[in-house]
Amino acid sequence: MSQENKSDFKVKVGLAQMLKGGVIMDVSNPEQAKIAEEAGACAVMALERIPAEMRASGRVCRMSDPEMIKSIMDTVTIPVMAKVRIGHIVEAQVIEALKIDYIDESEVLTNADNQHHIDKTKYAVPFVCGAKNIGEALRRIAEGAAMIRTKGEAGTGDISEAVKHINEIQSQIRSIKNDYNNASSDQERRLVLGKAAAAHSVDVDLLKTTVELGRLPVVNFGAGGVATPADAALLMQLGCDGVFVGSGIFKSENPLKLAKAIVGATTHYSDPVEVLKYSTGLGELMPGVIVNPRN
Amino acid sequence: MSTLTVGVLALQGAFIEHVLFLRQAIAELNSELSANIIEVRTAKQLETCNALVIPGGESTVMSLIAERTDMLEPLRQFVQDPAKPVWGTCAGLIFIGSKVVNGRKDQKLLNAMDIEVTRNAFGRQLDSKIVSLDFSSFIPGLTSFPATFIRAPVVSEVGENVEILSKLEDSGFVVAVKQGNKLGTSFHPELSESNAFHKYFLEQYVLKTYST
Repeated sequence: MSQENKSDFKVKVGLAQMLKGGVIMDVSNPEQAKIAEEAGACAVMALERIPAEMRASGRVCRMSDPEMIKSIMDTVTIPVMAKVRIGHIVEAQVIEALKIDYIDESEVLTNADNQHHIDKTKYAVPFVCGAKNIGEALRRIAEGAAMIRTKGEAGTGDISEAVKHINEIQSQIRSIKNDYNNASSDQERRLVLGKAAAAHSVDVDLLKTTVELGRLPVVNFGAGGVATPADAALLMQLGCDGVFVGSGIFKSENPLKLAKAIVGATTHYSDPVEVLKYSTGLGELMPGVIVNPRN
Repeated sequence: MSTLTVGVLALQGAFIEHVLFLRQAIAELNSELSANIIEVRTAKQLETCNALVIPGGESTVMSLIAERTDMLEPLRQFVQDPAKPVWGTCAGLIFIGSKVVNGRKDQKLLNAMDIEVTRNAFGRQLDSKIVSLDFSSFIPGLTSFPATFIRAPVVSEVGENVEILSKLEDSGFVVAVKQGNKLGTSFHPELSESNAFHKYFLEQYVLKTYST
């Protein structure tokens, strides 16, 4: 079967590997897509309304108009991604027919199926999915996701949830790995994995791979609340392979300058002098909404 | 015993994969020369390198970041130096070329090889694929290597001094080229299971240059 090579999981993961160390930006029209590309985005996410506007609308959020997505695909030469509703296999078929480069099965849109996610092995286009913890991440990978992003809290400009989710994933992997390494026999190691797999409702072989690698077996980006260069560098320092930026850029006073600064800070995330440079003089940033306000 | 430094450009893309494969390959080669493999983000780090690998990623992004961080001139000087072995894969192949088709107008190139490279030559991600290729004409015994093409570019024109190492049978696309001690591949050996290509680069380009 000639299709077999094409849908090879390696090829799907491969594109995500090429995006590493980069910034993927939400854009709503060709003009924004051009700004993102000029700023150095490694890919763009085409969607009609950015998460901040979706949150405010209170309406059902569906996949974007394919015409709008196509206009963005025709405008930029970098990869283009688009979102479909969780479990909406037909939206995914439609976006695949459009020949998009990556599909985001996204909790930012309204769920189409509250029980199941899409069986992503049935598609030749690779999928990225959100996760808050190791259980969600490995279940999505078992369903065929070739890339994971932290869920964070999209549209808020508040980084705290994204931080919580990457920390949760990392600490869960560390803790299981620790128990695994301290086990004294093969039988005990199998027991450690079996218990953890049951506790997180994940496939035991996938968990074993994860524990041996000491990280998720696919590329993992930070997302949901990134609004500044320092936010992007923070997620990188916490172990993300790259970042998604949604509302932050085009809700700011100077989108091009901020977008360039976030790209720069993502490259040089471990160099405070560089991040200082990129954090300076950006103008008015996205005002944002606090996720868990303290009284 | 002397130690060389081989850098992997780490502005964006799949650089870790190259670092790990190069480390593994140098350990397995058992040469009298040893090599440190480092990530390169600054001109200062580049100065310490004897050879450079430019990885896959987005070529336009690498070019923009290099330009903004004042890395473009140091990189040009480095890769154009006939004494310095250089290997570009995918986006790296575009970056070390002298002309790009289907790129951005403001995309800067490093001009290390006399080649024109056509970006996204196969199409979008749906056209990405793994093809088994025979490289035994330049890597003895490597008759079947899984070459991974991800939104891959191809070499569309070559200058007089460029040797074509590999061509696809069906399309005639040129996917591997050599010019002196510069190597360019449009696919990703760093995504395969084998470090055969990394050994080839270290042996035939890096160690050969520095052992004489």
